[in-house]
Amino acid sequence: MLKIILFLVFLLPVCFINNMYWMVQIMLFFISFIFLLMNNFMNYWSEISYFLGCDMLSYGLVLLSLWICSLMLMASESVNKYNNYKNLFLLNIVVLLILLILTFSSMSLFMFYLFFESSLIPTLFLILGWGYQPERLQAGVYLLFYTLLVSLPMLIGIFYVMNKTGSMNFYLMNNFMFNYDLLYFCLLCAFLVKMPMFLVHLWLPKAHVEAPVSGSMILAGIMLKLGGYGLLRVISFIQLMNLKYSFVWISISLVGGVLVSLVCLRQTDLKSLIAYSSVAHMGIVLSGLLTMTYWGLSGSYTLMIAHGLCSSGLFCLANVSYERLGSRSLLINKGMLNFMPSMSLWWFLLSSANMAAPPTLNLLGEISLLNSIVSWSWVSMIMLSLLSFFSAAYTLYLYSFSQHGKLFSGVYAFSGGKIREYLLMLLHWLPLNLLILKGESCMLWL
Amino acid sequence: MFNNSSKILFITVMIIGTLITVTSNSWLGAWMGLEINLLSFIPLLSDNNNLTSTESSLKYFLTQALASTVLLFSVILLMLKNNFNNEVNESFTSMMIMSSLLLKSGAAPFHFWFPNMMEGLNWMNSLLLMTWQKIAPLMLISYLNIKELLLISVILSVIVGAIGGLNQTSLRKLMSFSSINHLGWMLSSLMISESIWLVYFLFYSFLSFILTFMFNIFKLFHLNQLFSWFINSKILKFTLFMNFLSLGGLPPFLGFLPKWLVIQQLTSCNQYFLLTAMMMSTLITLFFYLRICYSAFMLNYFENNWMMTLNMNNFNMNLYLILTFFSIFGLILISLFFFML
Repeated sequence: MLKIILFLVFLLPVCFINNMYWMVQIMLFFISFIFLLMNNFMNYWSEISYFLGCDMLSYGLVLLSLWICSLMLMASESVNKYNNYKNLFLLNIVVLLILLILTFSSMSLFMFYLFFESSLIPTLFLILGWGYQPERLQAGVYLLFYTLLVSLPMLIGIFYVMNKTGSMNFYLMNNFMFNYDLLYFCLLCAFLVKMPMFLVHLWLPKAHVEAPVSGSMILAGIMLKLGGYGLLRVISFIQLMNLKYSFVWISISLVGGVLVSLVCLRQTDLKSLIAYSSVAHMGIVLSGLLTMTYWGLSGSYTLMIAHGLCSSGLFCLANVSYERLGSRSLLINKGMLNFMPSMSLWWFLLSSANMAAPPTLNLLGEISLLNSIVSWSWVSMIMLSLLSFFSAAYTLYLYSFSQHGKLFSGVYAFSGGKIREYLLMLLHWLPLNLLILKGESCMLWL
Repeated sequence: MFNNSSKILFITVMIIGTLITVTSNSWLGAWMGLEINLLSFIPLLSDNNNLTSTESSLKYFLTQALASTVLLFSVILLMLKNNFNNEVNESFTSMMIMSSLLLKSGAAPFHFWFPNMMEGLNWMNSLLLMTWQKIAPLMLISYLNIKELLLISVILSVIVGAIGGLNQTSLRKLMSFSSINHLGWMLSSLMISESIWLVYFLFYSFLSFILTFMFNIFKLFHLNQLFSWFINSKILKFTLFMNFLSLGGLPPFLGFLPKWLVIQQLTSCNQYFLLTAMMMSTLITLFFYLRICYSAFMLNYFENNWMMTLNMNNFNMNLYLILTFFSIFGLILISLFFFML
């Protein structure tokens, strides 16, 4: 793993050279492909160096971070074009990427915590620095304090665990089992907020609405997955407590998922809609994960990967419209089929991925999650069916409202889709549909 | 400052006073050191051009003299008890000593003089007050063996430091409330081990030195000055203000390290309630640090046309950038060395 980290560390000075924007971007792609070749389908820790290593669980998420970060640079071309502090922007994203990779590949719980927290800072900078409205201050404060309020107790919990077990290594800690309520809440709540679970999700739509496209991509693509990843890591030694309390979180997530889907149906802001839809999806991931069945764990991981690509792609599409129309409102972003028919194809493909249509990885994830949740309790079928229905409904709403109908009459002229944007969409969509051909890389990591 | 020979004299005597206190083997010697320290710090504060600093020095003198008197009184009581077998309640004397020392260091139930006094000082004197002047009282507190009052003081300090800074617009008051909050952490680390206190103190001094140095060079005293203040480039300003996040103890920065040590030690002593109070209040301090940083972190905002551009001279800039580098990447560097061992 250290070779990846060092590569990125030495990419940092490159960020300061002028006109190196695309160089950095290409380099990130390059390292993604290098990392792709490092896959060896081991369910144990491999590539161990320093305190870093990766098993299949880490591998997918590290790859996702590399991929999303390179796509982030591709999507925020406007930062380069208008020279909106592009050197600082590049630096910020590369630092964020390094921290994310460190988070996902740390083999010790404390190191994981350290980088988990650290990755918050560049995200905050991204929102405060490159956001559009003055409200981004509030969004930044929400983001920071929602996360910190719960993750500081987790730090205490981690040290408690360390005092009891004498080790922070994930692999060794699986031999322990804690039967202690307070510890359970300390360890879990940080991840629930990060996920985010319904009721503590308020920071997410705010942050998304205020963030620039790169901020939204990283938030939806990776930051939410930090919560799921952390849960998958810690749930093994707090499973006894989880058996006792999981019904609370599962109920909140399922009911909340339906409510949030209803909220989605009446959104007029493109980004806000996509943000709420990711809250709904993360609700299913969370409930599947907390059932602690084999299907649930595998499915939650699969859906996390799938959702990372898919929602990040949708945010890109929203930004493509935003850059042309100067608005994210659905009342203005309508009838886009008339102006950008080829982009409509990508809207269609990514929307269908968002509603878990057949050839996508989302489908695989959702099927296994539905299996696990229904096997946990058949009553959840009510909420699950509503959730699936409404998730299709709001995605359809998003697609049809933005693509069909009359074009907004105030639009004067704008350019059609650029090659860069089509490539961007393709690179989001392709892994989503190719990975299902190699579904075991996502399903059989356990 | 260094052109003024009397200042050099008083600084030397001030340092000597603290050293006398921390090295003395009797309470009377410690008291004497404190007095020497006080009486040499007062002339340092005074400034012919500024009336407020005189007021501050008066406030400082009154509170410190009160504390010293009480300290002397309780030390005499101790002597009566130990040498003449008088029936003096042990916990009473140590409580008196503890309170007087808490008053001297400006910890929470006795903190009221501290922000008020800081308001009148210039930045370098504030720095001395926030860091050096804490050494002697804190060392003396570490000799005492009374946990209840210390515990109360810790919790009150962190909470007062957090809540007090919320509505302030004066940078000196913000720094003084943050100092009270950090003092709470230092007191709690004193309960466990002196070496951790030393680490915390050194890191706190380092971080507050960086910030005070910046404020001093640019003569920044209020929050609104930050928005109309522009140094060489926005990126530089961005970098400089990351020191605040470091002071707030956010993970990737150096300021997290002392907090990490204290948290780890307190968990191993099962002080969970104390720890929770401390961490939650630190979160609030982080909020007002972030408020200071807004102008730097928001790269694009409405700017005045008459932005004041101040440039640092080269030496200061280089020194400053090196210090900032350590404050931002220090944690990573230290852990790198740790893993290399």
